[in-house]
Amino acid sequence: MKALLLRLEPIIWLLFGGGIMVGTLLLPGYLMTVTLGGPLGLLPDGALSFERAHAIASNPIGRVLLLAIIALPLWKGAHHTRALAVDMLGHHSDALVGSLLYAVAAIGSVLGILAVLAI
Amino acid sequence: MARPSDPHAMTPRKPGSTRTAPPTVPDDFWTRPRMLTYLLFDATGIVYLLVGLVALRVAWALGSGRAAWDALMQSFASPGYLIFHAIALVSALFVGVRFFRLFPKAQPAHIGPAKPPPPAVLQAMLYVAWIGITIVLLAVLGGVWP
Repeated sequence: MKALLLRLEPIIWLLFGGGIMVGTLLLPGYLMTVTLGGPLGLLPDGALSFERAHAIASNPIGRVLLLAIIALPLWKGAHHTRALAVDMLGHHSDALVGSLLYAVAAIGSVLGILAVLAI
Repeated sequence: MARPSDPHAMTPRKPGSTRTAPPTVPDDFWTRPRMLTYLLFDATGIVYLLVGLVALRVAWALGSGRAAWDALMQSFASPGYLIFHAIALVSALFVGVRFFRLFPKAQPAHIGPAKPPPPAVLQAMLYVAWIGITIVLLAVLGGVWP
């Protein structure tokens, strides 16, 4: 398993790098509106109504950005959580922990593609 | 045909004489600010992982219809979700500030014939992009534009 992780490292690093860069660029705007501003009632009426949110997310650019907000943080999260596990738990469990975390990121990314296409 | 590179290809035949620190986190890491910052940076991974999974829920709700969307927005107003998303926002800002400070240092001296911009210019470009993208997202998702 460790050998497989080493072989996949260029792909994992590409997605991790995308997560840390693109994910971080997109997350503040998304979090401040969809997950905080809307629920706290800080946005104008209808800003996040189903019709408006659906229209934004079903636009081709909206689909790509929504997929980026789903998939890239998953890969950044998986890689950094793996690094944290190595620091706190040592190397002996790295193959198992790393494989599980990347599996979550991979499955989440595939589900993200399906979910974005289904909008 | 090129073979895949061996990650241990550069390992010396016999260990060097230089002593290296064992790769372990010291027990008193709570008292070491640099170590603590480094571990916090890694710990944002847990938050990002959860943010990605919640964003997946957002996409599924949008594809499932108005009732699912309204139920999700209602659940986002619960204290647990609000606290989590506030932590996520702080994490994203922390990652951005730290990563954009490190990014210029990680650039190669040359990219083909071209040189990367000076570190200060590169950092300024990242912040302009970050602020610009955030403003556009705030305007679009906040119902201000278009």
